[in-house]
Amino acid sequence: MLNETIHYAQANSHEILVALGQHIEVAFIATLLTIIIAIPLAVALMNHRQAGEFVLQVASVIQTIPSLAILGLLIPFVGIGTVPAIIALVLYAIMPVFQNTYAGLTNIDPLLIEAADAMGVSRRYKLMRVQIPLAMPMILSGIRIGVVMIIGTATLAALIGGGGLGTYILLGIQSNNNAALLIGALLSAALALIASWLIKLLAHANFKKLFIGVATLVIIGGGAFGIHTLMTPKTETITIAGKMGGEPEILINMYKDLIKADDPHINVTLKRNFGGTSFLFKALKAKQIDIYPEFTGTVLQSLVKTTQPISHDPTQAYHQGETALSQQFNMTLLRPMAYQNGYGMTVTQQTADKYHLKTIADLAKHPEFRAGFDPDFYQQSDGYPGLKQAYGLHFNSVKTMEPSLRYQALAQGDLDVTDAYTTDPQIKKYHLVLLQDSKSFFPPYQGSPLMLTSFAKAHPQVVKSLNRIAGKISTQDMQQLNYQVTVQHQKASVVAKRYLQSHHLL
Amino acid sequence: MIEFKAITKEYANETALQAINLKIDSRELFVLVGPSGSGKTTLLKTVNRLVVPTKGQVLIDGADVADTDLQTSRQHIGYVLQSSALFPNMTVMQNAAVQLEALGWSKTKIKPRIEHLLQLVDLDPKLYADRKPAELSGGEAQRVGIVRALAADPKLILMDEPFSALDPVSKRQLQNLILKLHQQLDTTILFVTHDMQEALRLADRMAVLHNGQLQQVGASQTILEQPANAFVADFFKEVMATQHTLNQVLAAGFGQPLTQGSSQTIAPSTSIYTWAAILKTDPHLVVQVGTKQLKASDLISYLATLQKEDRQDVE
Repeated sequence: MLNETIHYAQANSHEILVALGQHIEVAFIATLLTIIIAIPLAVALMNHRQAGEFVLQVASVIQTIPSLAILGLLIPFVGIGTVPAIIALVLYAIMPVFQNTYAGLTNIDPLLIEAADAMGVSRRYKLMRVQIPLAMPMILSGIRIGVVMIIGTATLAALIGGGGLGTYILLGIQSNNNAALLIGALLSAALALIASWLIKLLAHANFKKLFIGVATLVIIGGGAFGIHTLMTPKTETITIAGKMGGEPEILINMYKDLIKADDPHINVTLKRNFGGTSFLFKALKAKQIDIYPEFTGTVLQSLVKTTQPISHDPTQAYHQGETALSQQFNMTLLRPMAYQNGYGMTVTQQTADKYHLKTIADLAKHPEFRAGFDPDFYQQSDGYPGLKQAYGLHFNSVKTMEPSLRYQALAQGDLDVTDAYTTDPQIKKYHLVLLQDSKSFFPPYQGSPLMLTSFAKAHPQVVKSLNRIAGKISTQDMQQLNYQVTVQHQKASVVAKRYLQSHHLL
Repeated sequence: MIEFKAITKEYANETALQAINLKIDSRELFVLVGPSGSGKTTLLKTVNRLVVPTKGQVLIDGADVADTDLQTSRQHIGYVLQSSALFPNMTVMQNAAVQLEALGWSKTKIKPRIEHLLQLVDLDPKLYADRKPAELSGGEAQRVGIVRALAADPKLILMDEPFSALDPVSKRQLQNLILKLHQQLDTTILFVTHDMQEALRLADRMAVLHNGQLQQVGASQTILEQPANAFVADFFKEVMATQHTLNQVLAAGFGQPLTQGSSQTIAPSTSIYTWAAILKTDPHLVVQVGTKQLKASDLISYLATLQKEDRQDVE
């Protein structure tokens, strides 16, 4: 476990550092904004108890809303990426910072306030020299709570393409990669501890120096950002994004290589681990990204409205999806690659040999097999219930379990048969056998590049480049590539390039 | 001169002050004394308008404080609170300079001024200027509180029970300090206390308050000798018990029949301390009390009998 983690960290050190940088950037901006909003608000309301209590109530209510819900609510207004993430984080952190500042300012010994008043000092002097310094320990502890909260919650930014350490946590959960999960979790925890410790140090710093320090940081940060923006050449940039996980990352690297091979002057930006299907689809609609790899099955099941039943023939399914996307969303789905990343049924090599299993139909003779299924698969009509009808299957014992655990259970002999995603690298890792879907029961899940039709028309060269992998890459090939990336921790860009070169696609 | 004209202060369900009329002369050390809840602090705070009276006027040198700019007038009034109320985030120097900064003094002028005042209250500037209030004893902190009030050389200093939280030794030292400063400086001091001993020690004149009403105004001795009502008499009863008057000296059998030429006549209710003070300036003075005359030797003999009484008590 430890070795695996270290190996993973070494292999991905650059990407991890980038994610760490993103995480710090998002957390820092959110913290600054929180301070800029919460502290002046508390100062403005300290002599208006009712208004102060009201704001406190509102801030507490905001905190009870799950952070994912806030992110979801924000997408229609501010889109995806770091902006909604920062807004959500600020909304969360305002409460502790405001509450502590307000409490700090309103709980100062009234005798001291009386003394200041009796000396005839100005309101500004009283605020800056008496009230804020005396409330400072409370304010700083509020900021500390806020920052720790921000750093922790910022891991959710990964869900909406905000990047950061959450990318590794989500990646780890989705692909059962404990090394990635551990790195994401440990780094964000370490970051929270360090930030908390730094703020504790600030408590002993001179107030004036502190203010100058923060102001300098803001100016330098703003300046660097401005220069960065100005210096970045305004050449055409194509943004390609991919969903969470190794496979989309391999695909988008292939897209990039293919496009750059035909036109080295085009600037291609990759946004890997950008989030779930709906985030990517919305981002494409909002032109925040230009291309992302999508599956025909996903298009038909969840993106478009279909009146006809979904075809189980891959070619027909592609045409159904392509037509619907074009009509309903003005999008173009290019021709798919060869491999299928859909549901399948899998057994160990040993079981397959022993019972001479080749197709799913062969399972009908073995109701004694212990089956373990993904909960969705167990319930959906295109899963186990449909399969029972189509092949006349019946298992006496069926367990539902976390998808990432079922392969291991199978390999250990706790199960005899499970459902599978056909390109999962664990199939290769545990030497499992995928049984043939001879009746074409499972809907086809073929990957192909999705883009707006307007983009396709404006970039015929890009379309031509991408079409070169249409019909290429078999399911076994994809399994192999996924294995190299998610199990062996090779770089997706290297794996992608090597494959394209060895198959003479570059 | 401070003049309270029919000052009434009413809170939601009680009357803190009832039509108080009072005049305090310039350069007077005037004490407002009374039990807690008597309204003495409320009355004090109407001067710098920390309390705004419901009815009535406060005039400082003829000007109504309600009509003057509050911030400016406060900058020219010294204020010493209970328990010093120094700002814990500032050094002694910074604390003492608050009013000067509000007045816009330059740093170069502030420093020597505060150092001078620290010396005046027996605090070595080298040792104390950079300390934080947490590093001071209660008595030291209150000395700094006094420096803060003196900083702008105000014509008026308000003191709100400044020594009530101090131990007896510090209290006595600071009372002496106030008497010394009052003599040296050209300042009116309005001093609030619930401690009648303190009031008697400090006051040029005092006002006794009870339940928001003025009971009596006058010099210490007058109030002791001629209490205006039962409350005042009762309030000072404890002090009276420890007072030895010339009546007691006569009753103890001292004094000679009057001879011609004895010089000064004093009242039988005068305390022996006052008599001792008179003798200090003129040791050979013979005073006439009623039909008898008393000499310095009589005082000493009387005091000696007190000593004997004490011994008998012990035995």
